[in-house]
This record gives sequence, C-alpha cells and structure tokens, in this order.
Amino acid sequence: MTKTVVINENTHKGIIEFFKLLLKKEKVRGVFSLKKINKDGDIAYSLITDPDELNEAVPFYPLMPVNAGKLLSRFTLKGSSKKPVIAVLKPCELRGFVELLKRQQGSLENLYIVSFTCGGVYPSKLSLDGTIEKNMNSYWNEIKKGQIPNDLRPVCTSCTEFFPYTADFIVDLIDNKEMDKKLEIFLNSKKGEELTKDLDIKSLENKIDQQKLDKYLKKRETEKEKIFSEINKKLNGIDGLVDIFGRCIGCHGCSKVCPVCYCTLCEFDSANSEYEPSNYDSELKRRGGIRAPPGILYYHLGRMTHIGISCVACGSCEDVCPVDIPVAVIFKKVGESVQNMFDYVAGKDVEEEIPLVTFKQEEFVEIEE
Amino acid sequence: MERKIGVYLCECGPNISEKVDLDRVKKEISSIDDVAVVEKFKLLCSADGKKYLEEQIKNHNLTHLVIAACSPKEHEITFMEVCENADLNPYLFQLANIREQCAWITADKEEATKKAIRIVKAAVGRVKYHSSLEKKEIESIPDVLVIGGGIAGIEASLQLASSKRKVFLVEKTSELGGLIKNFEKTFGDMKSATELIDNKIQNINTNENIKVLTNCEVGEVIGFFGNFEIKIKTTTGENEPIEFNVGAIVVATGSQLFNPEKTPQFGYSKLDNVFTSLEFEKMNLTKNITLKNGKTPTSVAFIHCVGREEKGYCSGICCLYSLKYASYLKEKLPKVKIINLYSDLCIPGKKDEKFFNEVKSKNVDFIRSSDVEVEKNKNQLKINFKNKEGKKNSILVDMVVLAPAIEPTIDAVKIAEITGISQDKEGFFAEEHEKLNPISTSTEGIYIAGCAQGPKNISETIIQSEAAAGKILSSLIPGKKIKPEVKTSVISESLCIGCKTCLTVCSYGAITFDETKKISVVNEVICRGCGNCVAACPSGAASIKHFKFNQIYQELLEAVK
Amino acid sequence: MIENKAAAITIKSSMKNTIIELLEKAINKEIFDAVIIPMETPAKDSFVYVLVKDKNLLKDSNPLPPVMFVQGAKAVSSITRLGEGNLKIAAILRPCEIRAAIELAKVGQTNLDNITLISMDCPGVLPYPDFLSDPKKYKKLFEEAVEKWDNKLMRPVCQICNHSSMVSGDIHFATLGINKDKMYLIPNSSKGKNLIEKLELPLKENIESWQKKVKEISEKRHGKRKKTHKDLKTKIGGIDNFVDTFSNCINCHNCMRVCPVCFCRLCYFDSDKVKHNSEDYLDRAETKGSLRFLPDTSLFHIGRMSHMSLSCVSCGSCEDACPMAIPVAQVFSMIADETQELFNYVSGRDLKEPIPLVAYKEEELRDMEDAHD
Repeated sequence: MTKTVVINENTHKGIIEFFKLLLKKEKVRGVFSLKKINKDGDIAYSLITDPDELNEAVPFYPLMPVNAGKLLSRFTLKGSSKKPVIAVLKPCELRGFVELLKRQQGSLENLYIVSFTCGGVYPSKLSLDGTIEKNMNSYWNEIKKGQIPNDLRPVCTSCTEFFPYTADFIVDLIDNKEMDKKLEIFLNSKKGEELTKDLDIKSLENKIDQQKLDKYLKKRETEKEKIFSEINKKLNGIDGLVDIFGRCIGCHGCSKVCPVCYCTLCEFDSANSEYEPSNYDSELKRRGGIRAPPGILYYHLGRMTHIGISCVACGSCEDVCPVDIPVAVIFKKVGESVQNMFDYVAGKDVEEEIPLVTFKQEEFVEIEE
Repeated sequence: MERKIGVYLCECGPNISEKVDLDRVKKEISSIDDVAVVEKFKLLCSADGKKYLEEQIKNHNLTHLVIAACSPKEHEITFMEVCENADLNPYLFQLANIREQCAWITADKEEATKKAIRIVKAAVGRVKYHSSLEKKEIESIPDVLVIGGGIAGIEASLQLASSKRKVFLVEKTSELGGLIKNFEKTFGDMKSATELIDNKIQNINTNENIKVLTNCEVGEVIGFFGNFEIKIKTTTGENEPIEFNVGAIVVATGSQLFNPEKTPQFGYSKLDNVFTSLEFEKMNLTKNITLKNGKTPTSVAFIHCVGREEKGYCSGICCLYSLKYASYLKEKLPKVKIINLYSDLCIPGKKDEKFFNEVKSKNVDFIRSSDVEVEKNKNQLKINFKNKEGKKNSILVDMVVLAPAIEPTIDAVKIAEITGISQDKEGFFAEEHEKLNPISTSTEGIYIAGCAQGPKNISETIIQSEAAAGKILSSLIPGKKIKPEVKTSVISESLCIGCKTCLTVCSYGAITFDETKKISVVNEVICRGCGNCVAACPSGAASIKHFKFNQIYQELLEAVK
Repeated sequence: MIENKAAAITIKSSMKNTIIELLEKAINKEIFDAVIIPMETPAKDSFVYVLVKDKNLLKDSNPLPPVMFVQGAKAVSSITRLGEGNLKIAAILRPCEIRAAIELAKVGQTNLDNITLISMDCPGVLPYPDFLSDPKKYKKLFEEAVEKWDNKLMRPVCQICNHSSMVSGDIHFATLGINKDKMYLIPNSSKGKNLIEKLELPLKENIESWQKKVKEISEKRHGKRKKTHKDLKTKIGGIDNFVDTFSNCINCHNCMRVCPVCFCRLCYFDSDKVKHNSEDYLDRAETKGSLRFLPDTSLFHIGRMSHMSLSCVSCGSCEDACPMAIPVAQVFSMIADETQELFNYVSGRDLKEPIPLVAYKEEELRDMEDAHD
C-alpha cells in the first residue's frame, strides 16, 4: 500500500489545485509544467511562480515540444535552486533526466518530480494546425478506456516503459475510469511524503493496479513487435542503412534535441571529424565518388554507439527530423538491444551505473572464447 | 572547492564612512553565501591596514578577498601586493569602488548606502568566478633596430652600439650613406662630404656590435617597448626573411625631393638642362657639369622654393645648399654667371650669414622674384619672372637648377603601417610633441630621427640621432625586466573555426593564424588584453582572462537585482 | 565581369544530359579532375551532393534537382575548408549556393582556388516537406514548372527571388530568352573563359536576349519582393509580433545548422554563455509570474540575425529545416535585404568585397551619429 493524496476534482483541474496549494503555502518556489503561453494556445514548458499563471498550465497535455528531462538538466546544471521546485515530467523525460544525472548533468536536490502513467504524445507537427486540440476528447476517452489512441508518435504506441519508476509523485492516468471525478496522487518517495506532510489535503492509502497496467503493457508490446518487424525489413545491412539514412541532410537536429546527447561540442561537429583533402583524394581513388559533406552514416552509427545504452525512446529525434527519417524507431530498436545485453533499462534507477562505463570482471565471457 | 570570501569595508577615514552606513553594508553582505567574514577598518591602505589585511587572510584561510574602498586606480596594486604577501593569488581579489563611484558623488546617505550595498554585492558575485593567474616577467631586449642607413641612422647606430647592446642597421639600397653620398662638400664649412660619410661608414663597418643589413626592408614589427619581434625581408626576394627581437626602434628613413613635374612652369623633364638640386650634386661629384649637348654652361640660374607653395612649408636647407652650388661653380667654372631667384631667403645659423656674404661677394646675383616660369629660347632657357616691385622681367641662361621642397620618402606610408607610428599632415612621422618631445612617437619605444621627421641639415640630424640614442640608452637598460599583460586573450582550439575575424580587429598584431590547424592563436607576450577579439568572435571561442563571461555576467546580475 | 560573348551548345535530348555530356568531355580532356554535382539517393527520395571523379557515375547525376537538400556551399566548404587539395574541381550549383560559397571564402571556410563555380538560371526549388510527401509526383510537377518557368510551387523565398540568374561564379549556363534547343555558356572570369576555350567552344554568341529576359523577370520579382516584404514587416514588426512569430520555436537550432553562412563550430547560443543557474531562472520567472523554458528564444533568432544577416543569400534552407513550420527564411531574408542595403552590399556578389561588419571605414553611417545630437 502506498500513501496518496486526493483532490475530489477532475484530474486535470485537480493537479492545478495541488500546485496552487504548494505555491501558496510556499512549499515550492516554482512549478515546471506544460502551459499555454499565448492567446493562440501555443504550448511550451514553463517555469511558473505565480499561482494565477497556473490557470494556463496543462501538465498532462499529450505533447512533448522538447524532452523536459533535458530542460531540467539545464535548469539544475549550474547548481540546484535554494528553494524547492516541482516539475511534471513524462516517464521517458524522467528517465532521460536520470540518465543525465548519472553523467553529472544536473541535480535532484530541491527538485520534486511529478509523473504519470503515460498514454503517449502526438508528433509536434500536429500541434501546428490544431489537430491535437481537435483530438483532445477522443485522446482522453481512449486513455480512460485503456486503449492506445491513433496518430501518436510511433515510439509512444510501442512504449513498454510507461511507468515512472523514480518519480516522487505518480498520477495513474491509464485506464483510469475516475479521471473526471478525482485526482489521486501516489506518494512514491519519502521526499514526496515530506512535502505533502502538513498540507490541507485529503490523504489516503491505495495500491497501483498492477494487473491493469500489465494488460496495457501487452497492448503496447504487440505494437512494438509490429513496428520492430517493419523496421527490421528495412535495416538489412549497409544497403538498408543507406536507403534509410540516404536523405539525411546532416543537420544533427536529432542530436540537439536528444536528452542523452549532452556534449557541448559533439565529436561529429568537432575538428576530429573533418575530412582533409588527402582523405577525399583517397576516397575518390577507392570509389570514384564521395558524398559531400561526408560521414552521414558514420554520424548516426557513432551516435548510436555513444548513447544507445541510454536511449529512452522518447521520440524527440524523429519529431525534429526535417526529412522524416524514422530515427526514433531505429534508435529505440538498437538502444533496447544494447540495453538488453546488460539487463539494463535506461533511467529506471538513478543508482544503477551505466553499463558501458562499469567494469565487471566476469562479463561476456562467451565473447572471449 | 569551498569558498571563504573575506569582505573588508574601508572607512577611508572618514571619506566613505561619512556618506555610507557601513554597519548596514556589513549586515547585508554577511548574509551572502560563501562570505566568511565582513569587517570595517579605518584606513586599509595604511601600513596598519595592510598588516591587518594580511593577518585576516591568514587567520581566516580566506580563498577570496573583496575590499570596498577607493578606485582601483588608487590602490588595486597595493591590495594585490597584500594578497601576494599573504600567499593569496592576487587575482582572487576584487576592489569595489564605493568612494569615487558612490560616497563622493551621492548626496543622500540612504541612497549612497543602498548603492554601496549593490556595488559590494556585485564584487562578491564576481570574485566567486575569479581564477588564479600567474604574473609573467620577461627580460627586456637591449638591442635596437635602426631603419635607414643614411647619416641619421648611422649616427644613432654608432651612439647606441656596445658590447651589451647590438644594433641592427637596415638599409633598403645596397649601400650605406644615404643622400650625403651624392655630395662633394657640405655647405657652410665647405669640407669634404665624401670624407665625412666614408669615415662614418668605416666606423660602422668596423664596429662588431652593429649588424648591417643592406638590400633589406622591414617586413613586420609586432610587440612593444622592450620586446619587438622584427621580420626583415631582402629586396632581391631570394633569401629567407631574417627574424630577430629588439627592445627599441629608431626610424631614420630620410627624405626625397618634391617632384617638379608637379610644377610644370619650371619645365622640368620637358625642357633640356633643367635639373633638380640632387641631379646637380651628382653632376658636380662626377666633375661633369655639362649641358645636354656636352658643352659647359656659361650661365646657371638657381630657382629656390620649388613646390613651397604646394607643400606649404619652407624646407630650410635649400638656400644654403644653393650657396654651396655657387661655390662649386665658382671653383670649377670661374667664368660662369650665377643667378639665384628666390621668394624668401632662409639663412638662420650662427655661421650661415657669413657664408652667404662670402658667396655673394663672388659676384653671385640674388633676385627676389615671383611667378617664375622657364621656357625654351633657341639653345638657351628663358626665365620669366616678376621682380619685387611686381614688374615683369626675364633672363637668359644655359642651365636651370631647381631647389625642390623636401618630402618624406615614398616608403613612409609603408613604414608607418608596419611600425604603427603616425604620420602628420605632410607625411613626415609625427613626433610626440612638436616642441617638448620631437624624438619620441606615440608608440613607446619607437623614435624618429633625421629628415624622416622633418626637413633638416646634417648637424640638426646628428643632434636628433644622438637624442634618440640618449633616450634609448637611459630607458632600455640591459637587464631591465618587463611585465607583459597577465589578463590576455585565450582562443579555444577546439572551438575556433578559423574565420580570422579576430585577426582583422587586433590592433597589436598579437594574433597569428596557424595554417595547419586553421585556427587563430594569441601571442600572450604581445597581447594587451584589449578585448577586441572577444567582442568580434561570433562563437565566443575567444575569451579574456579575468574578464570571462561568467565573471562579468555575475557582477552585472548582482548589481541590477 | 561578365563577358559579352557566350558559347552556344545545342541541347539534343535534355538540358540535364547536355550538361552531363559537357562535364564528361571536360573530365576526358583533363580540364578538371572531379565534379561536385547533385545525385539522386539510392532510395530515390532525395538528392545529395557528390564529389565525382569516375565519370561513369555522372549519368546518375542531376544538375538541376527539384529540391535543395543541403546548401551546396556546405558541400564546397567540407571539401575545401582544410585546403585546396590537388584536384581541379567543377561545382554545379544554384546561384545562391555559389554566393554562399563566396561569402564563406571571405571567412576562410572555403578555398575557391581550384574550384570552377558553374551556375545556371534557377527556377527555384520545391519546399522539401512537399517533395517528400510524394517524390514521384513532385518530380514531375517540378519539370513542368521549369518548362513554363513558373515558380508558384517553389519555396516562398524562391518565389520572390530577384537574383535567380545572378552570376558571381566562373561560368553560367543560360537558358532564358534563348531558343529551347540551345544553351549558352557565359564566362564570368578568366577561369571560366579558360574552361570554355579548352572545351573548344567559340565565344561568339550575343547574350543580349538573355540579359533582356533576365532583367524582365528580375524587375517583376523585385516589385513582388518589395510588396511581400512590406506586408511581412507589418505582420512581424514590434517585439510582441516578433515573439508570436517564433512562439512555436523549440530551440532545435536546425535553421542555424543548415544555414550555409552560419559557420561557427560551436554557436554562441549553444555555448556555456547561455547556460544560467536555477536561481537566475527563478528570479526571472518571478518578474512575470512564469517563464517559458528554455527562455530567450527570440534572443537566439535576433542574435543569429546580427551575426549572419550581412551574408544571408536568401536560399531558404532554414525554413525547410524548421520542424515547426516557422517562416524563418522569409523573416531573415527580408531583414537581410535591409541590412545589406545599409552598406550597399550584396552578399556573394564579389569575392574581393569584404564583409561590411569587418571592414573599417572612418567615414561611414554618419546619419546614425546625428541621431544623438
């Protein structure tokens, strides 16, 4: 059984009330959440300090303009805030943040995380013509029924890590028939319990319905199999990779928005990756022609090598790609394969060390033979 | 790393304490993170004050020091020394000016106190981001570069050279001697110019401390007084450039004559037998004063002040050398008729009037004239002019010798660019002060001597060369240490993309380009820390020590919060 | 300076084939060793620039592709930034790509010594997202548009481009105002003239009809351009409108990355200097009650403008790369026109013309000083 706090209010309104309470009681100095930032209803992450501004917040909105884990890393990179801040993250954003924490790219000090069982987000392009807004009702209907909505990011429909392991506060949205009547927040950590200790709010005890979540997991796994088998057909050797990544323009947007790509100057942008005239000469001798700029596959395979172990399959890379390459599905597939080799789930446990930089004497002995 | 910042507020007895409530400042500052101690003191720059600070630093194990007192111009160095004596790196210190910029200019005590609090907070915010920096000291180079192998350069070289001080004498032609090599005699004393200059050249050649580089030009000068890096290139273009370092430079590039083609009324280069003074000197030296047709002239006219109106100044030596020419002629061609056409006579020196009278007495005519024109008249030249009453007149002569104005050499612009010294409106090198310092330039360590600075005769040139030598001898003492700038620019190798924008804005030539790595590199010894490159670099690959982005940003942030 | 006489080539099958044959001939005659030219991807869904030495590979190339996937100046830069190498290379590029290559040469990012820059009359390029939605369909539509010289489907900045026949490279392939069965090679430098002579093509054609047609098109476009910019200015002028225009921006910086004249290895706006600590962010949030995170989106765009506006060639690559369909190119191109006009500068017009921002003139912009009197 887990302690919970309850607000008898529609979940979406209730969470706002919860945050307002925290701000007014000065339990936190700021709330980090998705918010409508202008009269056109454009949505972006915001750091909110004024309770009135919370009226425009939409914490559970099915959109991920940027991976919020990356944003929290930027927020805490140069030091934690002196007073607490509470942030709403999607499970993959939280896992991204955890992977960054393992690399000293942020801090959890004075930071409280609210997360939820996630039904997935829409590709950002769909926010441009109002499609998401139009789909709002049907989206939540599907979620309430424990179904997977249409038109989401492919990595969302196939996501099997939709439970936010390390959050301080968890809201169970999936298959939640009481969403319109009640907001129940599971206090998933001591930290969370401490924060809500003397708040004027109803507290209960409850259990997360694991069976229900397992049922949903199966649905997602079916989707995953579908997507993986589709991409497998295309990923046949170098030719397959050339076909998929052929139209890549080398903008490196995927790297820029990826939560786990944290290097200030990427190796593939540095002088180390530049071709000298003699390199071109030798390539021309060998093959008669070379693409300019070169190194497109090298960049993607290199990035896979660097971050595959920590890929949280959030799908930001695919959203930002200007030539619609299914980067996210490919990296999800490769990432999962690598992580499975070490029984590792990226971002599940902040104490768990990154396998690629952890030396274990007895490991992969079979390869040595 | 745990920071322990010590903040000391100076009452400046009572300059500051009168206007600023230091107790309140102390209270506000004490509550800031990482501030270990805040104290007031009567007069921190006094001997007691300095001792107190040293003890405080040691006792509290301070990692950083902030002093709120007067302007850094007054006592930054003082307190930096205090830090050094207390084994604290002097760059981990910030001086907050609450006197000139606060107490002295704010009438209301409440306002002044609030402002002082901001200023000190800003200093504390900044000092947190300071890094230790090491002071540098290099030995100055006593050697000297002399540009120009005429009498000015030769004299300076002879005065300067010694076993402890090498002189590099660079001359663009193949021979030393400059203009004097063309003279048979010097005016006034009418002594042998050839002997004079040959003796000087002999002295140069036998002096083992003078390295003569003929057929050479200065290609590049970067650096500062005590440490100039010089690149010399050969005019023949064959050999590798020569490089060496010197501590000071004497620019003695001499002069040339105004081109009389610009004053066509004198017929130069159009009519036969119209010569410039220098051409006449050369004819005289080869003992070959003849007309174009090979005959010797029976009459010669000297036209003074050619180009004077155009240039706007009197060159001061032409009247005297015209007298010399008259003497040459009287000696070699006694029967020749000599006429001088002048607009003003310039005979200033203590012996020159005597010389003038001597020459005049040998039946040499001096006619004051204006509107002088030369035209062909059969085999002769007809000179039309107006006499001093304004009446038109004319004379017929065989030969005309023009005395053109003295100009700076054609190389002056290039030399100015290379050395960074300025030219005046006439193109001569600009002296630091017309009356009080006609030898130094605006660039410390670079001096000018001879006609490069303005028209003058040989004795004036010698005086100026010796003066330049004197300045160098007294200020560039062998063994003298120079302290290059500590707060220099740094360009990140991994971030620089080689666009050379910084190079175009560096006024000191302190940035070079590494062609292999295709990046800009700062010469830390020459960099003066002006920050132009930092402002110009679009990506922020360049930064200045002690003025890093964060240091300035945090200071500003605290000041405006 | 453009020569008054051009060389004529007969177009037998298509302009594309004619150009490829010419290049093959040039490689055979060893006039140059390799060519930078667009080629279709194996999956036939895009085009990429390839440095080709083996002339057998040329047959898969397309000198006038329907899209500008990578700005050609970036291709030239990647090949020559670290030196000119031993190869003599011909580069077939759109006019704005050549201009960008010339701008980059001014800041040491391309070395044009061994490169012969060849341009052609440009019909514009299709917006990449449109092309990608149905490559086959759009390839056909593009060919039709070239036939009629109709640019309605092209990138918004292409539609108002008044430099679509600008010649700043070494040779220009001219097709406008000339019989459909012919094409002119117009030399614009001694390198270009040399190439044409080595190809044994006599320079005897008069280019007046081409010049006339180009002028006509340019003037029409110029009018349209001025009007479009005026309307745009009203729409985005003022800080509120400007912020609104970029309200969907997710700070991915794709626009900066694909821009040919944004050459910094690490952009200032990706560096440590824009990374602040949590207290600073919270303080800022408190001044207004909430702070968009990450903040300073508009600062990035205005900052980028101030860094590169003088070199902007209005190619439109930025807008194609924006995942949030923000009209980046339209905004930046409009502002570039004005900043360049301030200095009577046209980016990429002439290699010898220094970029105004780093050219010091003692007497300049006096009218700005008067504002403070």
